[in-house]
Amino acid sequence: MLYLALKNFLYRPARLLLTLLAIAAILAEILVLEGFMAGSYQQLRQTVLQRGGDVMVSQTGISNFLAARSVLPQKTRAAVEAVEGVKTTHPLTVIMQIYEAKGRLGPIIIMVYDAYGGGNSGGPVNIIEGKPPTGSGEMVIDQALSKRYDLHPGDILTLSDYDFTVSGISANSAALFTPFAFITYDSLIDFYFESDIADDISAFPLLSFLSVETKDGADPLKVAQRISKEVPEADAMLPKSIADNDENMGRALMGPVLNLLLWLSYIIGALAIGMFMFAAVRSQQRNFGVLRALGFTSRDLIIGVIAEAVVITLLALPPAILLAVFLAALIEIYAPVYLVLAAEPAAIIRTGLIAILLAVTGALAPLQILRRLDPATAFQEA
Amino acid sequence: MLKWTLQGLFLAPQQLLASIAAVAGAFVLVLFFEGVFSGESEKIVAMIERTEADVWVMQKGVGNMHMASSFVSDWKVGAVASVDGVKKVTPILYLNSVIEAGGRSWISFIVGMEAGDPRAGPWKSAGGAIVPEPGEAIVPDIFALDAGLSIGDSIWIAGRNFKVAGFSADTFSMANSITYVTLDDLADTISTIGAVSYLLVDAEPGVDPQALATKIMVQVEKVNALTREEFARRDFSIAVQMGLEIVWIMTLIGGALAVLLTGFIVYSHITGRERELAVMKALGVRDRAIYFSIMTQALFIGLMAFALAVLVLLIAMPTTEMLAPKISLGLSANALVRAGSMAIIASLLASIIPVRRVLSVDPVSAFQQ
Repeated sequence: MLYLALKNFLYRPARLLLTLLAIAAILAEILVLEGFMAGSYQQLRQTVLQRGGDVMVSQTGISNFLAARSVLPQKTRAAVEAVEGVKTTHPLTVIMQIYEAKGRLGPIIIMVYDAYGGGNSGGPVNIIEGKPPTGSGEMVIDQALSKRYDLHPGDILTLSDYDFTVSGISANSAALFTPFAFITYDSLIDFYFESDIADDISAFPLLSFLSVETKDGADPLKVAQRISKEVPEADAMLPKSIADNDENMGRALMGPVLNLLLWLSYIIGALAIGMFMFAAVRSQQRNFGVLRALGFTSRDLIIGVIAEAVVITLLALPPAILLAVFLAALIEIYAPVYLVLAAEPAAIIRTGLIAILLAVTGALAPLQILRRLDPATAFQEA
Repeated sequence: MLKWTLQGLFLAPQQLLASIAAVAGAFVLVLFFEGVFSGESEKIVAMIERTEADVWVMQKGVGNMHMASSFVSDWKVGAVASVDGVKKVTPILYLNSVIEAGGRSWISFIVGMEAGDPRAGPWKSAGGAIVPEPGEAIVPDIFALDAGLSIGDSIWIAGRNFKVAGFSADTFSMANSITYVTLDDLADTISTIGAVSYLLVDAEPGVDPQALATKIMVQVEKVNALTREEFARRDFSIAVQMGLEIVWIMTLIGGALAVLLTGFIVYSHITGRERELAVMKALGVRDRAIYFSIMTQALFIGLMAFALAVLVLLIAMPTTEMLAPKISLGLSANALVRAGSMAIIASLLASIIPVRRVLSVDPVSAFQQ
């Protein structure tokens, strides 16, 4: 039965190709959405993980790196460094700014780090053009900002009347649809003092987090617990735990919408496969009539159609993965603020299983035609 | 020819319906994606619009509330109040933070308002207190529902415990729910002394807000002042532009799906009626007329699918509000024009797919058995 159905499909290669392409496009769209979700969560995770350190210290009660304002008193650094097991600390400050140029307003998350701190002190980890910021007023920007505003090393980026000079472009430095920029503390102080933003610098955050390097052999978890206990104004956590919290926050923020869109995509998939199978059955109605006349039951025909739908859908999966990877690459070139992980094995397996379910659902669309099929149609004129 | 076109379409009404539904699905996906951004963008400016201050004053160099931070020395509250034409000045502290409640975390904008003064507070109550007392918080009703919060329950903002005293309505969105606490509590929580974030300025009757904003900027040093409309426009613009690229990408992906699905349908119609096509060709009907017919079919399917998609979204908007209140959906004229244009372009592109098939039909085949 399945052999006959596939033979019939191969008899019309153009139609088969179009069907495969359309199903592949639907599955690719689902994979891109899945990849968009996975990429958004990964961006949230890697933001804190890329800052380095074995332990991250924040203001008491702040357990996220992004979307929460953490302010630590200056004296905290000395207090943390005095805790047993702490080798050194690297200060980090996170500030939000709105950049306006070329008629577009866009948020930027600025990460301020100590460029002279040695090791991974929280700066950009993936500079693809130019160099890290060294002098005052220098800034590394994410490639999304570079692309959106056509900014390159040597160009001026003005924030609150203060001119920063772009020293480099970094990749994979964005989250929550917002690109990051990196400056040094020298730049931050100059920005606060020289820009015409406010008359009271004490109102501005000067220290948000401390990235802690532990001594060789020290257990980071125990060091974190000691810091939380001995430094009352601070909480210390492993970067992985903060990454988990940021991911969970992202899931709460974006999950409902993205999941709804995924469900919508599944419905489109089922409808489309239904439409293809409906068209396929209609075009093969006479052949099915012959099979009925030869003694095949309606049940046999239905199973055959379902099997056909499943096989075609599975055949469409590999090109769907390739198409999704291609689309993800295009998205990242066109809008690098997004990360689309379209080839995640878990997502592919999930999409594959759902695709089979969609194929079975879709194959039920022409059920009525098959049930009512009269063997006499085999002998009617075409 | 038109009759033949319509006959072709309605030959299998169930298939036509499934086809229109599938293509409509692609448009719904696009409209829905844009609708979410549009709905969120509208919610983002809700506080600016609903508090109805004539002018907003903020730190110089700042022109937004969403994704921005502003600090203004508190002595400037008096300075702004003394500007001619100002009726009332209401300061607020404003912080983007994470709220922890019921073992989960939510992003929220925290507004610190002066105790006892409802001017900058929630514009619609959903139960309980209208303004927070020290140690209390007014949270959005949808947030409370999601977190399972009742009056008297605890929430944590930056590690500090607040008791839920009331619920506000119309203040929830996924990216921008608003939680109200007292100004002193928030200042204490974020260790800010002698500073506020924004000033809500009510003008005397008859005073032009734009002229008043200019006057404030001239008379009070290092502040920016924007009319409500301009401030809301800027924040709306930020929100929309944050999703601009992804909306375009989804539009293109949805458009490509629509092209393939419509192309398949038209192709199926053509392959199923090749003999009729051969007869028509034998009778002298030109290829151009057949193409026109194919294009009409594709356009019919595309436009019907677009209409169905809009209908689905119009039904989905109140339904989503009821079943998934966390999601705000909006439908903008721009989105409709974009999706409508996509429907037409997709239909025209789809009608190219069966062209080769039409060309390959030999009129002689009409006379073959």
